Amino acid sequence: MGPLFPNGLISGDWNLVIAVFIGFGFGFLLEASGFSSSRNLAGVFYGYNFVVLRVFFTAVIVAMVGLLYFNYFGWLDLSKIFILPTFLPSMIVGGVVMGLGFIIGGFCPGTSFTAIVIGKLDALVFAVGLFIGIFLFAEVFPYIEHFYYSGNLGHVTLTDVTGISAYWWAFGFTVIALSAFWASWLIEKKVRKRIKEYKF
Amino acid sequence: MIKYNSKREGTHYLNPYLGGVLMGLLMIVTIFISGRELGISGAVKDTVVETAHAISPAAAKAHPYYGMYIKDGQSPMHSWLVFEVLGVFIGALLSGIIYKRVRKPFVEHGPSISSKRRLVVALIGGILWGFGTRLGRGCTSGAALSGSSTFSFGGVMVMLLIFASAYLFAWLFRKLWT
Amino acid sequence: MNRNYFILTIIMLVLAAGTFFIPRKSLQQQAKPSKLLWEIIQPTRYVSTDQVAKMIIQKDPTLELIDVRSADEYNKFSLPNSINVPLDSIVNEGGMDYFGIPGTNVVFFSNDDIKADEAWVLAKRLGFNATYVMKGGLNRWIETIIQPKEPAEESPGTAFESYEFRKGAQLFFTGAKVEKTTTKKSKIVVRRKKKAVVAAGGC
Repeated sequence: MGPLFPNGLISGDWNLVIAVFIGFGFGFLLEASGFSSSRNLAGVFYGYNFVVLRVFFTAVIVAMVGLLYFNYFGWLDLSKIFILPTFLPSMIVGGVVMGLGFIIGGFCPGTSFTAIVIGKLDALVFAVGLFIGIFLFAEVFPYIEHFYYSGNLGHVTLTDVTGISAYWWAFGFTVIALSAFWASWLIEKKVRKRIKEYKF
Repeated sequence: MIKYNSKREGTHYLNPYLGGVLMGLLMIVTIFISGRELGISGAVKDTVVETAHAISPAAAKAHPYYGMYIKDGQSPMHSWLVFEVLGVFIGALLSGIIYKRVRKPFVEHGPSISSKRRLVVALIGGILWGFGTRLGRGCTSGAALSGSSTFSFGGVMVMLLIFASAYLFAWLFRKLWT
Repeated sequence: MNRNYFILTIIMLVLAAGTFFIPRKSLQQQAKPSKLLWEIIQPTRYVSTDQVAKMIIQKDPTLELIDVRSADEYNKFSLPNSINVPLDSIVNEGGMDYFGIPGTNVVFFSNDDIKADEAWVLAKRLGFNATYVMKGGLNRWIETIIQPKEPAEESPGTAFESYEFRKGAQLFFTGAKVEKTTTKKSKIVVRRKKKAVVAAGGC
């Protein structure tokens, strides 16, 4: 049955309309969970607010387990969904740069948008920075084009690379995430004794 | 969920685990319908391409990077991600209104720095992210969150690297936040 | 609060562990052995070389000829508009794309019947119907179509009729072959199952 659009069960224009609704849900959940404040987001790196860890990891394990069940029930054909391709060196450098941007700017692109609509000027400046960053990338692109496309492993999944089946990954992620949640509760208690404000 | 008690101090947020579960379910629905997952940075890229195209169509088409995304007869903004980001703005606004978090424009900053400093580092952070999302083929939503949920090797790798890198530099920039 | 979280943790662990016990669906549904045996002994799967020739001459759109010999033999000589799927690669990925297209009749052929029969049984096992075998294979094809033998005086009228037909077919096939040598291998219209469209995506 699913995925509906690649199977031709809904047309391209409806796909775009649905995208708006999906974005609506996503934006609502992001803002409602507290991702619209850079101080909340940075909290995971200093131990005073673990909302990023909790929401992010919960979403990942729910989606992983859910997808496997959907595949089993025949509602979803996992061979037809988009898997992010892997470009090894480029993505490694990208990840490090993004992490640095995270700790300096306190936002990621999606959360900055949710912060803009509730009136945060620093988020607006961050978004302007996004534009500038992509523009800079486009300007240096001719020089790094070779690097950008190197190490293309294709649309590989964890199973393709490690040979460990998806069920182990889903279970493993769940165990690690749940342990992290309990550990974060303990850490938060300790850190919040020293810091007065921790929810922004 | 919606508590209108003025006695309560501070702003009210959804239980993070509930938010996570709902987000995970939303991602499953997204894949079920569209065969793809959420993303944000692609929409920003589309906007940049569109801007370049608007400023100078010929130069943009000939550009090695922008040219890849300019197709005759269809604006680069006519993409799934742009429509999704539109929804993100609306949804976040609604949430801000419901939870009474919408305010007159202000700069939120840590206790040890000034507003000006905060704006400067926000700009730097944005530029780093803009560059980084292109290299990493996505941001935390597109590559890390969505990629990991679909068991993509690249997605998990980017997710681990973003968090590891931020933890690595956290002590260096502690004055920004604490 | 903590007790609730504890319960939720257990539920999540159970759900995640549950994925291990989901039975994996087998890729192909195989035909039941008794049914397969019954179908093997039916002679209805055979089509004669005359029938195949007729379908080719009439440009029957449902006809799909599959040559199950090796690629070398196929390149040396084969029936017009036939596809080469060597017997040992039928079960490989892509080999089965040629079967199961609704509205087509697949005819297997080889030098004689043996390989074509094997291919037919394989396809039957995997559940594909509308498959046939050209009786006698290419050997018979050459006997009847390319070099038809004039029937003896006392043969029944039908023998003469089919001889007339075969002479005409011979002209068709060998005459067409003469044209072929001047051009490169003619474009073979290959019908494959529509490859599943994979979603676009990315951020």
